[in-house]
Amino acid sequence: MRWFLAAALLLVGTVPAAAQRPDTSRLPTGVKVDLLYNTMQRPLVAVRPFAAPPEAQAVAEQAHAIIVRDLDYSDRYVLAEVPEALRSGPVMLAAWNDLGVVYLVTGEVERHVDGYLLRLALHDVPFGKLKEIQAFRVPDPSAEDFRMAIHALADQLVDWISGQPGMAASRIAFVRDGRGGGRDELVIVDSDGENVRRVASADIIVSPTWSPDGRRIAYAAMVDGGWRIIELELETGATHTVARAQPGTMVATPTYAPDGKRLVFAMLHGNASEFHEYDVERRCCTRLLMRSRAVDISPTFSPDGRRLAFNSNRIGAPQIYVMPADGGQPELLSPFVYGESSYYTSPDWSPVGTYVAFHGKSRGGWFQVMVADAANVGAPVNQITQEGENEDPSWAPDGRHLVYTSVRAGGQGLYVVDTFTGRERLLLSLAGAKVPDWSPTLRRAEGLAILGR
Amino acid sequence: MKRQSLVLMVLMAAIAVGACSRRQPPPAPAQQVDDEAARRAEEERRRREEEERRRREEEERRRAEEEARRAAAEARSILEEMIHFDFDRAEIRSDAQAVLQRKLGVLRANPGVTLRIEGHADERGSVEYNLALGLRRANAAKDYLVGFGLDASRFEVQTYGESRPLDPRSNEEAWARNRRAEFHITGGADNLVLPRTSD
Repeated sequence: MRWFLAAALLLVGTVPAAAQRPDTSRLPTGVKVDLLYNTMQRPLVAVRPFAAPPEAQAVAEQAHAIIVRDLDYSDRYVLAEVPEALRSGPVMLAAWNDLGVVYLVTGEVERHVDGYLLRLALHDVPFGKLKEIQAFRVPDPSAEDFRMAIHALADQLVDWISGQPGMAASRIAFVRDGRGGGRDELVIVDSDGENVRRVASADIIVSPTWSPDGRRIAYAAMVDGGWRIIELELETGATHTVARAQPGTMVATPTYAPDGKRLVFAMLHGNASEFHEYDVERRCCTRLLMRSRAVDISPTFSPDGRRLAFNSNRIGAPQIYVMPADGGQPELLSPFVYGESSYYTSPDWSPVGTYVAFHGKSRGGWFQVMVADAANVGAPVNQITQEGENEDPSWAPDGRHLVYTSVRAGGQGLYVVDTFTGRERLLLSLAGAKVPDWSPTLRRAEGLAILGR
Repeated sequence: MKRQSLVLMVLMAAIAVGACSRRQPPPAPAQQVDDEAARRAEEERRRREEEERRRREEEERRRAEEEARRAAAEARSILEEMIHFDFDRAEIRSDAQAVLQRKLGVLRANPGVTLRIEGHADERGSVEYNLALGLRRANAAKDYLVGFGLDASRFEVQTYGESRPLDPRSNEEAWARNRRAEFHITGGADNLVLPRTSD
């Protein structure tokens, strides 16, 4: 009797649901099209044009434009239009309150030593009070680090308003594919798509990864017909070889431990593989971490350094696993189901939590970016993207944005998605952009002990 | 080509001259003159025969050379013929086995030949995983050949993953072409021969 009831429930429960939502029929079992958190209301924020004497007017305008765009790209706020009447003069919070503005940012720029000083103030409009005020040093706009210094101020505002890390003061490293005979180029670009520059090249480059201090990028490259792990010092452009593969083998997918002292990479021999650990500080002492009779690649550390997610084809098709960093039993994280063909690769562990992003598909669909919670293994996995083919996700330092490669009807290149709101933007339109890696925060605002007014 | 037709024309002319001389014997002159004429005719005949023999030898040599060149080219194309794989697989398919079997014969007949086997993948999936897949494919091809008794030191393997597509398009046909192992001759191919047909 009980089995009959269960079967009846199963019929009642599944058939009508499937009939009502035919578009989910191609979804892998254990995957739902969903964002990570989508019930949050985004407060209305206004950034008034920064006041400045004539000689600082241009700087004020540039800084304002960068900050407004960064706050928009943070996807945490709705940016309010600033009415003509409120663009300057005394701050009248009641008028902003009438517009529904929750936070108002005001600023003043003046010359200071060899650069400028920007006094930023954050007003809590509904409560009618000044929340924060501080002066920050800003370099001359002709200086190489001008934009990054302003991005750091945008992150400071996110911290003031939301108490959360921002991601404006960061960069994305990626490889521009040399297909068609050319060499691959390692390229970096600011989080807002500006300032694209090449930092290295080789016959083939893959797996760029930022060091936790943001000063170095490690990557795998084919040099003179052999594979190497190379560490690049960004400030000087100096490189050194971390590991060199024997002929017929490959070294790949380096990743830094969160303490920045160790670099873990995969060594592949045909169907077997190993993870090795390299001492970054002493530049030596590579030791074997783990040996596998399958292809195990793409290790990625949890923020506390105690767990590793990685990619393995030990059960046939590639899947994502998590395991203790010092060894132990791996647990399957990707939504594998027996009897269903599936393919999940390129894991990246969030820098602030337990989410692991990767890309994959099953049942012959397109590759999509997905996020699984390593604190809740076995729970349904969220599919974040839906349009076109989307691969190689990497987390921003804020732990909510992802950069990935996309090929879709509207174009191809690097895209950014906010996993909370689902908002997507094109970061860089470029065919052949691959394996992006988002840096940690590269700069903090330089606050001075000088208050305004 | 031009030279060949020239040789042919000369040959035909010689035959024609020979035919004429048979059909129209010279009128009978005085005995002394006859002997002298016969001697000269004999000399001429020998000279022509010698020439003919040389021409035939030369032609034979050319034909053999041509044959060797053709055989070497065929051996090379057998050695360089690529094999293809299924999506995310590194197993040697039956069509690839036939290709590798032909290579085996040529590799046995030319023991000095060395190869670089390059594994490639289609553009789908992770770049790094596809590099691993390319390495597996190259190794699978090598292991197959070594499994039939060839010396492993004759092969080096390399992977290019998805970075060197044959067909840049993004469709099933292009992906199928791009999932491949390529074979590049790295040495010992100066005088390639085909295996005897009984092999």
